[in-house]
Amino acid sequence: MRLYDPTSSGPERTLFRAPPLPALEGRTIGILENNKLNAVEMLHEVAALFEARHGCVVRPVYSKSNASAPAPAEVLAKAAGDVDFLITGLGD
Amino acid sequence: MPFDSRRIHDVPDDLLAAIDYCYEQGWTDGLPVIPPVVDRVDATLAFEGRPPEAVIATHPATGLQLTVHAAAVNAVMAGCMPEYFPVLVAAFEAMDKPDFNFHGSTASTGGSAPLLIVSGPVADDIGMNADVNLFGPGNRANATIGRAVRLILRNVFQMIPGISDKSTQGNPGKYSFCIAERSRSNPWPLLCETQDYPPGVSSVTVFAAGGFCNVENHGGNTPEQILLSVADAMANYGCITLGQSVVILSPEHMRIVAGAGWSRSDAQRFLFTHAKRSIEGMQSVGKYRDSEYDHQHGSNAHALAEAGFVHRGMTPDDILITMGGGDAGGHSCFIPSWSRGRGSIFQHKPIGVCIDCV
Repeated sequence: MRLYDPTSSGPERTLFRAPPLPALEGRTIGILENNKLNAVEMLHEVAALFEARHGCVVRPVYSKSNASAPAPAEVLAKAAGDVDFLITGLGD
Repeated sequence: MPFDSRRIHDVPDDLLAAIDYCYEQGWTDGLPVIPPVVDRVDATLAFEGRPPEAVIATHPATGLQLTVHAAAVNAVMAGCMPEYFPVLVAAFEAMDKPDFNFHGSTASTGGSAPLLIVSGPVADDIGMNADVNLFGPGNRANATIGRAVRLILRNVFQMIPGISDKSTQGNPGKYSFCIAERSRSNPWPLLCETQDYPPGVSSVTVFAAGGFCNVENHGGNTPEQILLSVADAMANYGCITLGQSVVILSPEHMRIVAGAGWSRSDAQRFLFTHAKRSIEGMQSVGKYRDSEYDHQHGSNAHALAEAGFVHRGMTPDDILITMGGGDAGGHSCFIPSWSRGRGSIFQHKPIGVCIDCV
């Protein structure tokens, strides 16, 4: 009996994780706020820890209006030029 | 010639062993699948005009692609007859529209299941059920088309429960959630007739749905009484949001509503007006947010949005209403959106024809 494989027959993945930073000290950090309840408050608290522990510099908040969809390309492009890394997360 | 000989699995010529093999590969939704043998997949592909490698949908977060071929393989596994295939293809074309946001609705803790509503003559042509036990078991087309959606989400897009599908409670519709719109005795235009398709063209509407809520009312005999029951279900604290809604009126309820001369638009406006909670009420359960209220009551607010209240949805058009179910029984239903706002918007596509492609 010959069965077809039902998994994706297209490219395995086209998007990949960025490589980790070698160190956090003195890096510029961005906050990607996702419009979830309490998200921006929680993210500011996390960013403050990076400031205190690693001397990071925090940039203004970047926003995406839809928590469940990828951030708009222009938001990511702007952030990529401004910061070394982003933090994001859900607050509810 | 097989589509891709590297993707052929040779298994012993034993049906039960092949079913077990599919389990071992992690290809099932927990129920046994039809082993996707080559001949049966090829018969399904005959119902699609594009080549097997044509891409129907792309996962925005991973780039994984659904080809016509992969869709056919999963359709066979779900138990679809080949003639069901155009419905499945159209459903994923609709889900691929960015505003449907099928990654978010599939991955979320919210437990969304894609609800498919098939409208037009194709429903009868392939033997779909729009009648008694509408959301229940018993009809092959309804059951297997909906199931094929889930198998594709699992096998092609790798939305695996607990890994990439983080649904807190799940949803029984995640096994299968596919109905036909009832045309028999329906006093309102069919959905496909309101979606600007040429006469005779069927459509499928997709909706990132939460759980099913039965709306029982055997005592009401006016449109207001029936629809207030529906509006109350839509506005319950557990699910009121700015998201969209699907309402399926039973034939008994529809006879009361449309029999009094109410149009679909009348019913939508009534439901939007009454499916609401006060600011104080929303605050009492901790669900009130200034930003949501301002969004609903800002410069583009609908005229029926009442100051001091949070309504379900943004406009009456956010409430999809049609008729379905058996002749007997005062049981309609309300199905909330997974999205609490505009995170997923219902979409539709024609079935088996190319209207807007190039």
